[in-house]
Amino acid sequence: MGGPVCENSLICRLEKVMKKYIFKRLLASIVVLIGVSIIAFVLVRLGGGDPARMMAGDTATEAEVEEMRIRMGLDKSWPEQYVTYIKGVLKGDLGYSWNYSMEVTTLLATRLPQTLILSLFGFCWACLFSVIFGMVAGIKQGTIVDFGAMMFAVIGQSMSTVWLGFLLILVFGVKLGWLPIQGMGSLKHIIMPGLCVGFGYAASQTRLMRSSIVDVMREDYVTAARARGISKGVTYMKYAFRNALLPIVTSIGVQFGTLFAGAVVVENIFNWPGMGALLTQSIGARDYQLVQSILLISSVTLVCSNFLADLLYTVVDPRISFR
Amino acid sequence: MKISTLLRKMRKSKLFMIGFFMLFAITVSCFTSRWWVQWDSQVSDLMSRLGAPDWFANGLSGHPFGADPLGRDILSRLFEGGWVSLKITFLVTLSSMILGSVVGLIAGYYGGWVDMVLMRLCDILSSIPQLMLAICVVAILGTNMFNLIFTMSVTGWVSTARLVRAAVFGCKNKEFVSASKVMGASGFRILWKEIFPNTITPLMISASGHFGGTILLETSLSYLGMGVPVPVPSWGNMISDGRSYITSAPWVVIVPGIALMMTVLAFNFIGDGVRDILDPKNIN
Repeated sequence: MGGPVCENSLICRLEKVMKKYIFKRLLASIVVLIGVSIIAFVLVRLGGGDPARMMAGDTATEAEVEEMRIRMGLDKSWPEQYVTYIKGVLKGDLGYSWNYSMEVTTLLATRLPQTLILSLFGFCWACLFSVIFGMVAGIKQGTIVDFGAMMFAVIGQSMSTVWLGFLLILVFGVKLGWLPIQGMGSLKHIIMPGLCVGFGYAASQTRLMRSSIVDVMREDYVTAARARGISKGVTYMKYAFRNALLPIVTSIGVQFGTLFAGAVVVENIFNWPGMGALLTQSIGARDYQLVQSILLISSVTLVCSNFLADLLYTVVDPRISFR
Repeated sequence: MKISTLLRKMRKSKLFMIGFFMLFAITVSCFTSRWWVQWDSQVSDLMSRLGAPDWFANGLSGHPFGADPLGRDILSRLFEGGWVSLKITFLVTLSSMILGSVVGLIAGYYGGWVDMVLMRLCDILSSIPQLMLAICVVAILGTNMFNLIFTMSVTGWVSTARLVRAAVFGCKNKEFVSASKVMGASGFRILWKEIFPNTITPLMISASGHFGGTILLETSLSYLGMGVPVPVPSWGNMISDGRSYITSAPWVVIVPGIALMMTVLAFNFIGDGVRDILDPKNIN
């Protein structure tokens, strides 16, 4: 009696889920992120090497190094440094990168979007491609398309990203000369690194989608729909497709994180000016603030994508609700 | 499941057998290569720098797969590097499994705050991408073989711990555990003798899926200069070192890449086979 009018509408369902669920998840996420920030903070400091000495230069006297240490805030104890760092993070200030002589926030503001663009491009093509290819393969079992999909899945999952990158450079960059082999600028620049970032994901998802469609097609409701005289196309799209999508959606969150991290390597291969390239450079230079901020931001991205995937899951599957 | 039933199921699984024989062939040829290859994998011969493959025209005394930028025979490096890569993969998988099952067993059995703390630790570790964490840890420890193995193990046990914990939850309230408790067995004994055998299935599934990912991770780390240090060859550093010669001598990169792909393929086949055999969902 007197329930919401829009009992079954998508937005309403989402709202109901969100009220209870978001709060719990936010709390858990905050705990996780605090943990990550501590691990990142300690990790970079365990590394040995003296950043103050590095900044001051080889010829600097002890006094100069000490002065540099005070300027960098490294003379304080670890807990004090951590509190200062976290206070800054809460205000949106990620510290100062001594190696690049600029604010970490400013630096990441130019780099993070590049990594996100690259990962999202890889993610989107992989999702679209695998869902379509997997579905066609699942529907047309035993045909050449099915065989092609399986081959793609098996080989794609076994390829090293580095090797794939080199092969792409060799074939499309050097032999055919179609695509630029490094840097960014035009749409052409993103094709090879994007392919590389999403390849493994596309392979595993194609396989998942195929087996999922094969399972769903055996279900009674698909047979029932066909028996009621509903056309093949409508049955596939309305009944099979949506149900087959569930396992894909479940893995999206984790997979996006893996893909995002995989971009570290791809960025280095194609000289893509993103966060991954920055990470490898800054670790060598013992750029504490930058490294710990990159780690923190990566896990924020991961936590957010997991969270969004969970919400998406409730939208796709009305049987599931979070309490 | 009895050992004989398991072996019969394994023999019947095509995927598992294909993977098994591929891996067997690769492992044996890598291991025995030290006795039959003609070149030392670490000695360079500048006369044959970037020499093209002669595809066994001169038998093993030529360079069947060509020579690398320092004139070292790629065939010799391929097999020795393969042995290094396989050893690393095996050790990393083994130690991640041990670490993962210890954490999973303790968290699952003791429950309460122990479980809470360990699982939050898992949450934290799994929300830092493994590759990024590995890069940082290797950078801290320095690049050598031991550190590489340590890093990949320390960053790769979380999913195993979760699986084992779930398996422990499934059996810790069963009668045989209570019986053991009543008879006065210690916590360690119950965990080891009663509960651990019941976590073997998820552990094997997890391990079989772990191998392929580990080899690929080693390649990525190698590319970033954090893999097996030169001059010891590994497939990862052979591929990475060929970068500058990809246009003039593509075989330097292509040959180890294919070997790596075949190996990961074999591991994936075995992994799928093991899952088919052991997963209760695939019982029919």
